[in-house]
Amino acid sequence: MEIYLPIADMSVQWMVILGMGLGVGFLSGLFGVGGGFLLTPLLVFYGIPSGVAVATTLSHIAASSMSGAIAQWKKHAIDFKMAGVMMLGGLFGTGAGVWLFAIMRRAGQMDLVVSLTYVPMLGIIGGIMLDESIKTLRAQARGNAPARIYPVNHVWIHGLPFKARFRQSRLYISVIPPLVIGFLVAGMSAIMGIGGGFILVPAMIYLLRMPTNVVIGTSLVQIIGVAVITTVLQATNNYAVDIVLAAILVIGGVIGAQFGARAGAKLRGEQLRLLLALLVLAVAARLLWGLLVPPSDVYSLAGM
Amino acid sequence: MRRFLLLACLMAAAPVQAEELVSGVSQDLIQITSNYTGSDIVVFGAVEGQNQNQGGNHGPKDVVVVVRGPDADLTVRRRDRVAGIWINHDAADLSGMPSYYFLASTRPLPAIAPAPILARYGIGVQSLRPDTVHSHHDYEPFRQAALRHLSQDHLYSEVPGGVEFLSDTLFRAHVPVPAGVMRGQYNVEVFLFRGSAVISAQSTPLFIDQTGLERRLYNFAHNQGFDYGLATVLMAIAMGWISSLLFRRPV
Repeated sequence: MEIYLPIADMSVQWMVILGMGLGVGFLSGLFGVGGGFLLTPLLVFYGIPSGVAVATTLSHIAASSMSGAIAQWKKHAIDFKMAGVMMLGGLFGTGAGVWLFAIMRRAGQMDLVVSLTYVPMLGIIGGIMLDESIKTLRAQARGNAPARIYPVNHVWIHGLPFKARFRQSRLYISVIPPLVIGFLVAGMSAIMGIGGGFILVPAMIYLLRMPTNVVIGTSLVQIIGVAVITTVLQATNNYAVDIVLAAILVIGGVIGAQFGARAGAKLRGEQLRLLLALLVLAVAARLLWGLLVPPSDVYSLAGM
Repeated sequence: MRRFLLLACLMAAAPVQAEELVSGVSQDLIQITSNYTGSDIVVFGAVEGQNQNQGGNHGPKDVVVVVRGPDADLTVRRRDRVAGIWINHDAADLSGMPSYYFLASTRPLPAIAPAPILARYGIGVQSLRPDTVHSHHDYEPFRQAALRHLSQDHLYSEVPGGVEFLSDTLFRAHVPVPAGVMRGQYNVEVFLFRGSAVISAQSTPLFIDQTGLERRLYNFAHNQGFDYGLATVLMAIAMGWISSLLFRRPV
């Protein structure tokens, strides 16, 4: 069954799109990742224009982040003040990202931007995950606990001006680092179609030194805020958000996420983490292949 | 534009008693809906009057049916290898090319008339040229690439033998209208050839419109981008929220 996407201006098999939403939703429920970094390249492989894929994936991220954020909110594990400060930075980051997006798209370089930013990102994430799961599996086989990474003390961050009290995080720090983190991650969101949780979470733990119990909830609120701002800006400036595509992805995503969360409670995660790492590396390899191998037709057609 | 003037002159100048075309289209409005997977229209007509056999107008009669879509601005990009990777490196903007072009004829085009005559009436995919070009180099390879891509997408096609004579005077041609055609005014042009010259021609408009939900969504997205974006993301958030109400976690 084909369905026409009014903004992407193409007909797609809606079952395939629903399947992608379900699959990525399942992984995000299982591992607590947003999944934008997998969904955007999958949509591009299917033939959705890169710009539409990047701009529409954020709706899927907003939906899956919402159910997570509600669960965290019930546990009072959200620092709204911190999320607000990061979102303020995010507002400017999104503006910059959407502006860059428009320039790259007009120049016909959106495919290149997606490939060039995703290959190193997926390569690094996939590599780290692969390394960690192999180490954990080996440690489990030997019967000892995996080594923990301890936060580094960043004295210079605590010497910055404009300090504010973040009661929920029990921190009294400068607002500059959260503003900068919010700005950078939101810029990446707009250009790459990712939530950026995998950068936000370590940055909040290791750079801001927030207590781990509020990190997940706060990052989810920040991701939702950025997804809302980015979607509105992409729709207003670049006409790149496809509401039909978003609806199918979101339906698949929220259902998949529930199954993923349940499966995660029962399954032992390490073998699955290894599989996810291999999947991420495979997507990176496929994108790299597209950059290096001579295309079958060097000419392509745009516009109409 | 020049093509239309020529067509108009021809229609005005045709002598009354000479052979003349009368043609029609099975549908003058096509509505594209979400489950539209393409359809066919039929162009039919008759050749009326007598062959006057004068001024070199000998030979068999040929009918050519051309359907042109609204003009489009095309950007053709060429990938080149830069620092080891393939990137879009060069581009040409071709404006005023039809977004859709279908041709059916009684015989292969070279048998009907020489290329310059065909080109004058915009007959044949190879005769299609942009009105204006923005390119740093010779745009011909880019034009050829555009013709190739549009042919692959079934937006440009030529069917020699696609016009069939049902009797000595009645003819008919099937015109496929694939999914993914542009909205707007299409022109159905029918040419009657006798001895390599056009002796009669007729042009009929045909409208293709998108209807239903997708049209309204497209308009919504382009006219009220802010509200549209907000609606999309709020829908997503609402679904996330509803799902967490529906499937309460066992934990």
